[in-house]
Amino acid sequence: MTSEAAAGMNVASSSGSDKHRTLWQDAARRFLRNRLAVFGLTIVLFFLFLAIFADLVAPYPYDKVYFDRVLRMPFDLPGHPLGTDEVGRDYMSRLIYGARTSMTVGIAVQAIACLIGVPLGSLAGYMGGRTDFVISRFIDSMTAFPGLMFSILIISVWGGGITKVIFALSITSWIGIARLTRGQILSLREKEYIEAARCLGVGRNRIIVRHLLPNALTPILVAISFGIPAAIFGEAGLSFLGIGINDPIPSWGKMVGVSNAYVRVYWHLALFPTVAVALAMLGFSFVGDGLRDALDPKMME
Amino acid sequence: MASSSRLQILGQLMARYILGRILSLILVLFVVSIVTFFLMHQVPGGPFDETKAPLPPAAKENILRKYGLDKPIHVQYLNYMKNVVLRFDFGIPYQQPTTTVTALIAKSWKVTAQVGLTTVLVAFGLGITLGIYAAYHQNSWIDNVTTFIAMLGITVPSFVVALWLILFFAVRLKWLPMGGWNASESCLIGGAFICSDWIMPVVAYALGPLAIIARYTRASMVDVMRQDFTRTAKAKGLGNRTIMFRHILRNALIPMVTALGVIIPNLLTGSIFIEAVFRINGLGKFFVTSIFNRDYPMIMALFLLIAFLWSLTYLFTDILYTWIDPRVRLGAEGGA
Repeated sequence: MTSEAAAGMNVASSSGSDKHRTLWQDAARRFLRNRLAVFGLTIVLFFLFLAIFADLVAPYPYDKVYFDRVLRMPFDLPGHPLGTDEVGRDYMSRLIYGARTSMTVGIAVQAIACLIGVPLGSLAGYMGGRTDFVISRFIDSMTAFPGLMFSILIISVWGGGITKVIFALSITSWIGIARLTRGQILSLREKEYIEAARCLGVGRNRIIVRHLLPNALTPILVAISFGIPAAIFGEAGLSFLGIGINDPIPSWGKMVGVSNAYVRVYWHLALFPTVAVALAMLGFSFVGDGLRDALDPKMME
Repeated sequence: MASSSRLQILGQLMARYILGRILSLILVLFVVSIVTFFLMHQVPGGPFDETKAPLPPAAKENILRKYGLDKPIHVQYLNYMKNVVLRFDFGIPYQQPTTTVTALIAKSWKVTAQVGLTTVLVAFGLGITLGIYAAYHQNSWIDNVTTFIAMLGITVPSFVVALWLILFFAVRLKWLPMGGWNASESCLIGGAFICSDWIMPVVAYALGPLAIIARYTRASMVDVMRQDFTRTAKAKGLGNRTIMFRHILRNALIPMVTALGVIIPNLLTGSIFIEAVFRINGLGKFFVTSIFNRDYPMIMALFLLIAFLWSLTYLFTDILYTWIDPRVRLGAEGGA
């Protein structure tokens, strides 16, 4: 995060000597003291590790089918500690690759949400007037759409697949961030230091990027950390209904959906992916809570 | 005199505000209908595809003409809207051509409404109770358990909770049925315990909203308990019960109205998952099968219905909010 570093440097240079701790060091300190947040971060890092190094960690390729090992229970066969699925693929490998799907969707959706939401929100907040009116009405009318239903419709039009799922979820995910950014910019815009910058002849874009956004960054960051699990949920939900990620790419949601038909006997098919989804969502939420508490000292009591 | 004219102005403001909101609701529905209609007709594969039903070309042409699918899209849209607005006719579902869309929705709606209503009751009843209890016994074990449940309910998706319940109570303990929904009236009156197939769907479905409600209630109770008027009430020597019901709860429940506005719309879409897991034949299940079958009239009607209910709840909670809490200024936020 370069903007994060830039904001940190701003504070550092204004405070002068390096004895002072920067805002970000302070926040990191508070974050690391929060046990739940550290626990969440551990989970998130673990899943990120699995996602990045899935090719090295997973014992089998995700799409390798063993016709003679269909629907084996965990520890039934020495090579498959979590059993095999309904067509004879190693379940552990599919879970590991499923982390890659979830993390990719979660992070990509939030990245797109920021790319759309932050510029639109800051423009609306800074310009005010007609620009604000048009953008705000647009945001309002988007809120009237049931987001998940809309994603379902879009996916059924475009067909499944990871990029399409990402775009379908992005269509509604930027709204919250745009609204948040607008509110932040709106409240910061009248501050003295912005007036000072304006008097010095600093241009609009530079004021937004260098002066307003770094100060509006913390709530946006918190919103992102809550947005990632929401996107993971969206992907899992679509795939659960059978219209998200296409076979043979593994997705936890799809594994849960398929397992529903086998749950009476082959409980492992349902248990492992549900635990994975739940852990991922909990992990990101703990990190989000921790970030909010760490970045906003006023919240502390 | 002065107060009555002030009331009149307030009433006028309110009326204008509500009128404006209703107009924007109609506009939203209009936009939803256009977007849905045109998106839907882009869905690859029509409802009468060769792979599904290999027909001679003449027969296929006949069917397409019968349903108006041979005309250009904008004509199809205009025809559709004309029927909807003038005759409340949403067409014929392709999956069951012997009935109408409205009849099919009317049939399956009851089950979804039962699921939703029971869930709302359970979520609000239990959520508020837990929230109050947690606020009165801060940092006790019940408070901690409530916080934990709230965390779980807010973050873990309902279909995950549903599968856990199935694994434990239906597969492992064999106490409850795996799915289904007994739609008889006696279930609603006698509670879910008579119809045991109600328990798991309602619990899985209610956990999320329950968590949000418990959290909101606790936070706002704690906030109100610190206010001056609560201290005054205590200093006057009022009983604990009076203070709780007359002073604290009344004020603490105001923010709950906003929670209502968040929860109810989400319940509408959440039903899809619950109905899929527990094999309940409600609207949510129809929505999924309609999408798989490219049943345009059905998808369209369901989408309009949900968008309508969705915006209606937003409107209602906003009005309720201004009505309950006089501090909220009408239109101060510009409807944002």
